[in-house]
Amino acid sequence: MLMIGSLGLIIACGGIGLWLADRARRRPGELRACLTALSLLDTEIYWGSTPLPEACAGIAARIGVPWQGFFEEIQGRIEGGEGAWSAWKATVANQTGNFCLKPEDWLVVLDVGKGLGRSDRQEQHKQLELVQKHLGQLREQAASWAERQAKMWSYLGFLVGFAVVIFLI
Amino acid sequence: MPLHYVVPLKKKTASDPAREMNQRGSLAGRGLLKWFNDQVREILYQVELHYAVLEEIRLRANQPLLIRLTGRDVFLNAEGAEVEPSQAYRVTSEDLSETLERLTQSSIYAAEEEIRQGFLTLPGGHRVGITGEAVLQQGRVQTLKHITGLNFRVAKEAKGFGLNLLPFLVTSEGRLFHTLIISMPRAGKTTLLRSLIRLLSDGVPELNLQGQTVGVVDERGELAGMWQGVPGFNLGVRTDVLDGCPKAVGMSMLIRAMAPQIVAVDELGQDEDALAVTEALRSGVSVLSTAHASSLAEARARPSLERLLTAGVFERLVILSRREGPGTIEGVLDLTSGQSLLGR
Repeated sequence: MLMIGSLGLIIACGGIGLWLADRARRRPGELRACLTALSLLDTEIYWGSTPLPEACAGIAARIGVPWQGFFEEIQGRIEGGEGAWSAWKATVANQTGNFCLKPEDWLVVLDVGKGLGRSDRQEQHKQLELVQKHLGQLREQAASWAERQAKMWSYLGFLVGFAVVIFLI
Repeated sequence: MPLHYVVPLKKKTASDPAREMNQRGSLAGRGLLKWFNDQVREILYQVELHYAVLEEIRLRANQPLLIRLTGRDVFLNAEGAEVEPSQAYRVTSEDLSETLERLTQSSIYAAEEEIRQGFLTLPGGHRVGITGEAVLQQGRVQTLKHITGLNFRVAKEAKGFGLNLLPFLVTSEGRLFHTLIISMPRAGKTTLLRSLIRLLSDGVPELNLQGQTVGVVDERGELAGMWQGVPGFNLGVRTDVLDGCPKAVGMSMLIRAMAPQIVAVDELGQDEDALAVTEALRSGVSVLSTAHASSLAEARARPSLERLLTAGVFERLVILSRREGPGTIEGVLDLTSGQSLLGR
């Protein structure tokens, strides 16, 4: 009975560690997908002069979860009459739980919404380029960070499990 | 419940809720209200009016909110009631910028060309005129900033309008005379042109007129009321529409690509338009067009129209006015003989 209990505890702690490791690993991927989405948005705005709802629908169709849901929500909000900035802000607040991004990533993502759709194509292009540059830097840092964090949580979960078992025994 | 403005032409029956709903939702039901910001939309929602008499909704910065109906202007207060201008709701700069954001679906960049030209087209062919501070680049309007006014012009479809004119505008073989429709603004030029396009395209059996292929160069997006590729108005079964294309380029494109029998364009006025019309005539198509001028003398005072009229390009002239409401036909002139074919 004691053996089963100890094993269960180790597996549970290890599972939590693996889950946290997986979340850390997903962050660079989500930042990469965000960069792709912003690049698509830039193309739609700069080369296609595509209105935002249509551009968001196009991006949602070409990108995977969780960004797909993010852009679908923005599309719906703008079509419902919300301004771009307010729609972007509300979507960020609403969708945070579906992502593994850190607060500093969201600050940069939020910057996209400021002034979105409110100026000419050149200005929009410049703004999106700037945000993409910032996100690119974050992604580079995130890659090494994620590797370290993932490794740490993978071991730490099981080690904490063992430690608790030893402590209890 | 706030006070409501009720146009006397249509009496409200308090005991008939369905009818009341129809009246009350007259603007909302037509999908117009969603284009206004929350503040103005709330005011307009409370206004009861018959859609048929609504011509314009005008928003000017720091000026009273104004609705123009056939025959009179109505100033509205924050409760949607008709008041004196001094008591009316003052439109703010925020109202204008938020409404413009809605009109462009938060995509000002996508409407750059329309803003440069000073108007936006909405689904259903409604047009919104824009005024503000022009930003120039090499003497050309680049864009408008600090928007000071928006004018919602309500488009209406008038089926059969112009049917009584057609016998004067087509030959016995059914060919359309080169026709110019003139009037002052808001007198129904575009509505008549749209109606004639549909009649000529579909054909009119009672006049023994067969349908003809019509090419429409809809530079201002007002004739077909195109919204993202979907026409808001029915222009007939044999009509091809080139949307948003400059007239001068579009006419030759249409003639080469779609072989129309009739080319229809709205609001001639530029020198290059006049040149394009002359070119179109050489290819054997009939030209149907409109221009701003309240009389033949006024049309002659405009250099580009004067050139076309002197060259004898147009064979028929239709003059409209608002004397008995928009679309009052003042006369039809045979420009080759100078005779009046229909006149009051």
